Amino acid sequence: MSRQPSAAERLDRAVDGVLDGQSVPVAAAAAGLDPTVRVLLGMAADLRASLHVPLASPHFEARLGTRLAPTASRDALGWALRHPRRLIVTGAVGSAVGVGVTAYAVWRSSRRAPGAHRLLHR
Amino acid sequence: MISSDRPPDPDLADVRAAQADRAAFATLYRRYLDPIYGYCFYLLGDHHDAEDATERTFLAAMSALDRFRDTGSTFRSWLFRIAHNQLANALRSRRRHRSASLDLVPERVAAEDPARLAGEAEDARRLQRAVSRLSGDRRQVVVLRFVEGLATHEIADVLDRSEGAVRVLQHRALRDLAQLLAEDAHRA
Repeated sequence: MSRQPSAAERLDRAVDGVLDGQSVPVAAAAAGLDPTVRVLLGMAADLRASLHVPLASPHFEARLGTRLAPTASRDALGWALRHPRRLIVTGAVGSAVGVGVTAYAVWRSSRRAPGAHRLLHR
Repeated sequence: MISSDRPPDPDLADVRAAQADRAAFATLYRRYLDPIYGYCFYLLGDHHDAEDATERTFLAAMSALDRFRDTGSTFRSWLFRIAHNQLANALRSRRRHRSASLDLVPERVAAEDPARLAGEAEDARRLQRAVSRLSGDRRQVVVLRFVEGLATHEIADVLDRSEGAVRVLQHRALRDLAQLLAEDAHRA
């Protein structure tokens, strides 16, 4: 024997319809809402239209992003330390990155040096 | 409880990537920063407190990410549950319950008819004031459902209630809001 849905269940089904983009009358009719509960569905539609997510400030977003990044690095270290072979791989990758960054910095400074030299002698 | 009629978790691929390489967590962070911050702000009513709770939520989520399993709950509800626990801690530490000053929520900017926009902004402020006067669990349901767009089963996971209890809370919250707005209109 099937149970009749309660008023709260019918309203929830109608709210699902409104959140999916249905108009209030269509969602109310589809869920079989009586007039007193239709008022509540209209309230639900107003809430969806009026309340919005306030955005986090860009400064906060950057600060928290920076705090999460070292956590990611520590996790990578933990991953490596659990297996000694991974430590060798991590070390090799880290060294390669270090060599690459150093080479790039040397190349950049060699390109900048003539201009800097001229500025110093003005 | 796992329900087979629930849609698949749209975040699952990104969660798996972040579990394998924490650098990939940045995708989930960017996707959920504003929703989590918004949830914290609506419940705490203060930008600084909301930032603190948001920060704690993401740090906790990052360290617990390996424990997330696809067992019926979505990643989104798992993350909001962490935020819910952080909010409970924040509210407990305040000792005395301050009501959220939702008037601080910035209004959306749109290049439309100014008179109509002003009317809509006033309606939004009335609604925000009414939401801030709801009891804690009813306000949570309203924010999670209508601001964040969570499904009933996700809210049940976040609040650790049954889906039926969430439906009843939603019904009562909407009834309370209708009554509060009617009282406002009567006073005006």
